[in-house]
Amino acid sequence: MIKQIREYAALPGGFGIIVGVSMFLSISILGFARPLLIPYAPDELIGDGLAAPSWDHPFGLDQLGRDVLSRTLAAVPADIGVAFLGVSIPLFIGTVIGILLAFAKNRVFLSLVGSIIDGINAFPLLIIAIAMVTFLGPGLFNVVIVLALMNWARYARIARTRATIVLRENYVEAARLMGYPRRRIIFKHVTPNVSSETLAYALSDFILVIVIISGLSFLGLGARPPAAEWGSMIADGRVFLGEAWWITVFPGIALCWSAISISLIVEGLSRRDRAN
Amino acid sequence: MSNYLIEAKSLSVTFNSYGFEVPAVREVDFYLDKREVVGVVGESGSGKSTFARVLAGLQVPTSGEVTFKGENIFRGQQAYPGELRKAVQMVFQDPYSSLNPRMRIINAVTEAVIHHQAASRKDAKEIAHNLLQRMGISATDASKYPNALSGGQRQRASVARALSAQPEVLLADEPTSAIDQSAQSQLLELFAELIASGLSVVLVSHDLGVIRYLCDRVYVMESGLFVESGITKDIFQSPKDSYTQKLIASIPK
Amino acid sequence: MTKVLAEIRDLRIDVRVTRRLRLRIVDTASLVINKGQLLGLIGESGSGKTMLCRALVGTLNRRGAYIQSGSIDFEGIDLVNASKKDWRSIRGHKIGYIPQSALAGPNPVMRIGAQLAEAVTQRGRKSKDEVRRRSLELLELVQIRRPEVVLKQYPYELSGGMKQRVMIACAIAQNPKLIVADEPTTGLDVTVQAEIMELLSKIRKEFDTSIILVSHDLQLINSICDDIVVMHAGATIEKLPSLKVTSALHPYTHALYDSRIDLVEPRGKLRTIKGQPPSVGKWPTGCRFADRCDFVKDVCRSTDPAPFMQVDDSQWSACIRHKEIYGGAK
Repeated sequence: MIKQIREYAALPGGFGIIVGVSMFLSISILGFARPLLIPYAPDELIGDGLAAPSWDHPFGLDQLGRDVLSRTLAAVPADIGVAFLGVSIPLFIGTVIGILLAFAKNRVFLSLVGSIIDGINAFPLLIIAIAMVTFLGPGLFNVVIVLALMNWARYARIARTRATIVLRENYVEAARLMGYPRRRIIFKHVTPNVSSETLAYALSDFILVIVIISGLSFLGLGARPPAAEWGSMIADGRVFLGEAWWITVFPGIALCWSAISISLIVEGLSRRDRAN
Repeated sequence: MSNYLIEAKSLSVTFNSYGFEVPAVREVDFYLDKREVVGVVGESGSGKSTFARVLAGLQVPTSGEVTFKGENIFRGQQAYPGELRKAVQMVFQDPYSSLNPRMRIINAVTEAVIHHQAASRKDAKEIAHNLLQRMGISATDASKYPNALSGGQRQRASVARALSAQPEVLLADEPTSAIDQSAQSQLLELFAELIASGLSVVLVSHDLGVIRYLCDRVYVMESGLFVESGITKDIFQSPKDSYTQKLIASIPK
Repeated sequence: MTKVLAEIRDLRIDVRVTRRLRLRIVDTASLVINKGQLLGLIGESGSGKTMLCRALVGTLNRRGAYIQSGSIDFEGIDLVNASKKDWRSIRGHKIGYIPQSALAGPNPVMRIGAQLAEAVTQRGRKSKDEVRRRSLELLELVQIRRPEVVLKQYPYELSGGMKQRVMIACAIAQNPKLIVADEPTTGLDVTVQAEIMELLSKIRKEFDTSIILVSHDLQLINSICDDIVVMHAGATIEKLPSLKVTSALHPYTHALYDSRIDLVEPRGKLRTIKGQPPSVGKWPTGCRFADRCDFVKDVCRSTDPAPFMQVDDSQWSACIRHKEIYGGAK
């Protein structure tokens, strides 16, 4: 097993991928296994607030006396889990729409949908997210809805461009020559070759979505107290930065850790692509 | 009713590009007899690829007709409707896009065998392996993805896939142009074998050496027209049209 | 005054794939080119011929490749250790380069006139009139009709053959002593190929320029070049005059020659070279053609590296058994 990992690491980009995956897995597993690992509940009021890190509480206690370590790990389902939803839903919707568009023949329909997609894509995702959440009201659930409603367009553009190229490739023409039914061509030939690109985009989108979730929560638009979430924890701890830096810093490190881990994976994969 | 395997009469294909009319093929007549190997030679822009695609049913002509065993191939929604689709298959020029990059070679061919020969998955896989073996692709290579194989191997895999339909006619659009020398010879030998076992072939190429090696008859195409046609030997030894003469003269000695 | 213009001796080129992984792509390549000579360089893909060209033009570094050992001497200048500054005065001025037509060509966003002006002006100050005059002169040299019109055109308006002629015009703009043409006609129509080859011959005759013509087409090289250098798996394995190609002294050269398609009757048995050239990084020790050779013996694999030996003053071979197989040069 070690040998296989060593071999994988030796390939271009392999080292980055392995480090990135390890980092991501470690924080995800710790996060989801928190109930088994940490004796303190994330919203349990333990003692005096603003207690510095100690053996009992390695990350210290926040202003309400809650264990910061417990809260940091409890935020994983919120930040990483919600980010996962916030990426996979647009990924699915966008890829499907993109592929369908590539098959469409009606010029008017194509222009219409194309314009809608371009219009949505013209706005930076964060700005639109802030605007819509202000409109819909705060809450992680609403954040996911906003992302699903808006972010699909980016995937649709990628999927549609790729699908139009794939449809012209010789192997799709060969499939038509073989007389394969259209359904088969779409599912077995077009979709896998399109989703390789949309999946790649999804991976780097993941980072952005994590940051959006935390960012919205930081602004008070995402997770609502007392929910544990890195962005809101960072916001809470801002006032106490001088006396109790641990309230802000540890969630911040967790956020960076997650983003960097995915970044490393993305970088490793692109290095591998280039080497080929 | 036509006696020929494939016949084209007054075939024209005109493309409409941003308001400009581009005539790619201009009223050509063509025929392919059983067990014949016919070549279409021309340079880039001559329209030969477009012509091949019409014969394959991938391109609808602007006017004229193409018949297979006397019947129009473009009747109804699809070209070569129903069972007829198996009869005419095609191999393309670019080995890099001829195979689905996300599918292992063996699976791509097995899929074709299942579709055409209605065999069970297990039987189909065996048939596919044998077919690939005949094309010179070992079992180990067959289980790889296309990007692990060389251009020549990919072309041969494409031929295997085309053959799984047990076609009567194979259209080959510049099959050797994008692969290197040794792979070219191997592919050509393969074609010679297939021809010897009864396959009829239409070979489109700009390579006169390949045409001379494989074809019984040749059509010379320039700017969408067939400027000359005849038996290969005659065309090469005594070309009558000035363009044909120019082509023959530019072969390095 | 020696005839020799450039000499490459025992060149080794490595490429840095990753920080730790290095691959050797050219191993023991040697060749000599004389003044006014048309030298053909032939090899299959992966033989290292393109890398050898890059070494001659100094563009190896762009792909992470570098010269590991060996020497390249061009008119007394050491090209292996030449600095970037040195190269700026060599490239274009003393050594010209014509790229493969399908891969590179005139800059698509520049008019032909602007591109040609760049090539003509290189490091010199010329008046607009002089540049224009020289540009038109060059376009006429490469047999482009209506050169005044072409000067104003963009590359997309030209055919493949015309674009290559423009590249040739750029290459000869400074009257270099050596032109390296890397598969200049691959991918072009055969009639255009014939014209470009005629053009290169004309340039060689008129300006006494040496030309290295790289190709994978033996017939093409044979019909136009004085001498031929054959490469296989990163090494130069034979050098011989093109007239002597039937009495080559290396099994690979013979195999290449015998595999020509025009030798065989229609659909007859083709003489193919069995197997494939060994891929980069997986080269066997000893002669790298051994696994595909009909005359292989143990000594072929154990002599490492296979030496490139001079047989007489015009023929070199890397086959250590050539005397036994072919009985010496004829």
